[in-house]
Amino acid sequence: MDGTRPSRACSFLEEVAELLISRPALRWIAPIAVLAVALAVGSAGTLLRAQAAGALPSRTAEQLLVDLQTAKPGGFSGTVVHQADLGLPQLPSLRGGDGSSELSSLVSGNHTLKVWYDGPQRSRLALLGTLGESDIIRNGRDVWTWSSSSKSATHVVLPAKVKGRDPLPPEARSQLPQTPEDAAKQALAAIDPTTKVTTDATTTVAGRAAYQLILTPRDTTSLVGQVRLAIDGAKHIPLQVQVFARGASEPAFQVGFTQITFGTPSADQFTFSPPPGTKVKQVTPGEHAGLDHARKGAPHPNAKPGTAAGADRPQVVGKGWTTVVLARDVPAAGSSGSDNQVSAVLAALPKVSGAWGSGRLLKSSLFSVLVTDDGRVLAGAVSPERLYSVAESTK
Amino acid sequence: MSAVEAATHPTAANLPALRRISTRFFRSELLLIFGRRRNWAGMAVLAAVPLIIAIAVKVTAPRPGGGGPDFLSSITSNGLFVALAALAVELPLFLPLAVSAIAGDAVAGEANLGTLRNLLAVPVHRTRLLAVKYAAIVVFAVAATALIAAVGALAGLVLFGGGPLTLLSGVQVPFGTGLVRLVLVCGYIAACLAALGAVGLFVSTLTEQPIGATIATLIFAITSHILDAIPQLDWLHPYLISHYWMAFGDLLRSPIATTSIWPGLGSAAAYTLIFLAAAWARFSSRDITS
Repeated sequence: MDGTRPSRACSFLEEVAELLISRPALRWIAPIAVLAVALAVGSAGTLLRAQAAGALPSRTAEQLLVDLQTAKPGGFSGTVVHQADLGLPQLPSLRGGDGSSELSSLVSGNHTLKVWYDGPQRSRLALLGTLGESDIIRNGRDVWTWSSSSKSATHVVLPAKVKGRDPLPPEARSQLPQTPEDAAKQALAAIDPTTKVTTDATTTVAGRAAYQLILTPRDTTSLVGQVRLAIDGAKHIPLQVQVFARGASEPAFQVGFTQITFGTPSADQFTFSPPPGTKVKQVTPGEHAGLDHARKGAPHPNAKPGTAAGADRPQVVGKGWTTVVLARDVPAAGSSGSDNQVSAVLAALPKVSGAWGSGRLLKSSLFSVLVTDDGRVLAGAVSPERLYSVAESTK
Repeated sequence: MSAVEAATHPTAANLPALRRISTRFFRSELLLIFGRRRNWAGMAVLAAVPLIIAIAVKVTAPRPGGGGPDFLSSITSNGLFVALAALAVELPLFLPLAVSAIAGDAVAGEANLGTLRNLLAVPVHRTRLLAVKYAAIVVFAVAATALIAAVGALAGLVLFGGGPLTLLSGVQVPFGTGLVRLVLVCGYIAACLAALGAVGLFVSTLTEQPIGATIATLIFAITSHILDAIPQLDWLHPYLISHYWMAFGDLLRSPIATTSIWPGLGSAAAYTLIFLAAAWARFSSRDITS
């Protein structure tokens, strides 16, 4: 020692050092302590968010429906996580999974989306994939979609006067609810025979206190067990939607905010100009005439000669949660399927047969689809058995 | 053993001396890493990938529909994408392999050659020795990443030119901003690799066989990749060392998405601290026999 007086902290450190020399095993406390701190910090965020939920005054289901309709959130931006665990079989062209930035991949896996919203006229949705991104940007009448993986964009110009074209006849208009309260009452009355609407204890979504509105199908043959909506306690916008299969404790489908900020996003988010080298497809809404043609029974412009015209308007069997949608003479279905991709998907599905005929079945935890060999397609949020009986009765 | 005892009892008198030694020690450590011929060969392989990518894209006709690794189809529009494509290609295996080799060699290599005992007899405090070794590993991680990015950017700019950079969001930013984004990507990747370096340093204190430490570290990284690809283990994914590595793409969006970047940096910091503490616990209490 050269005369420097050791401070108290220094002597404490020396004591610790001597202890560590006499008992080297004690040194392993250090990594374990760091591990514990890391885990604690990691979970602290979750805990803090859970505590952030303040108490909310209780509200009835009807009041919540009114809240939803009168919500004026202004602008907001946030992160949305989308999880789908539908129990779908592995299909060739149904490449879902995590990390893909293709919008069609949303059928399965976990996905993160970014949302910017400034009223219905200006919004942007970005699907963040691993090293990729898909965007949908609406700014007034311009709607752009962008895919970074294919470097392509589509541009849709919406018709100028949507409001002027009133789809409803005047007599129907007079029956429309005049106030949100009326609308909520009518909506509750309309769905009451099929659905039990209840509320649950308030929850926390994205760090915000939220009400829960629960829709439970009364018909127990539906595959849907419960639909839960989380509605922001202050801004009254839906923060989370969860769909549970019957008897399941984890949602089969879930989309909700993990982070949300209220406030008008910067105008930059809503401007898009395709970068050079982008394949831009211009779409005018009039080109979507295919649907109208099919409704009128006229041949679909793309339909192959000889096949029935683009399928008749789908028939609806049953009502409420156990509705089965039935389409006949679908060109891609049946043995005459012309599209290679569709037939590859069909070939991957299990073969089923019964008194109703034979076909292929796509079964998931929330819905079933039956494609019969005679060209019918039946789909609904019901068990395959219900599809079989509908197939038999509509043969 | 007496040298070790002396080293673990730093007195006020020899502290300044230690500090002077350690700067020299750090410089000699860097000289050791960047002067070895085998490390030159490794870095040449790292630098070859962006060159191969750039030349392959240049000499073949553009293919419609893209395909191939990410960023490959964007290279013709901006040379900076050569650097990004090379980083994306090398991040799963080549970069972890390089860092594992350096980190695995850090302590076990000295022990294997019998120089560790001499080093500690200098005397160098064991904690200081670990700190110097780890600092050199971090410098290597930064240098390896920067080398790939620099070679890729230079080759890309020569063959395809620069100009505004199209981000993943379809937004164009000026070339300068694009360069800044590339530097951010390099920094993020280097931080992720430095965490793997800490794991490698810990493994290196367990054995006297540098090859064994390198392989164990690489296996650690690859196992993490494999587990990360199994959807049934999604509860485990956020804890895996490589889970957030590919999040560097979030730095190329408009605006920069931080949903994975901050957890990624947090995960890297946690891995670094845990394994450095474990390396310290192991190394400072171990008997040095060779």
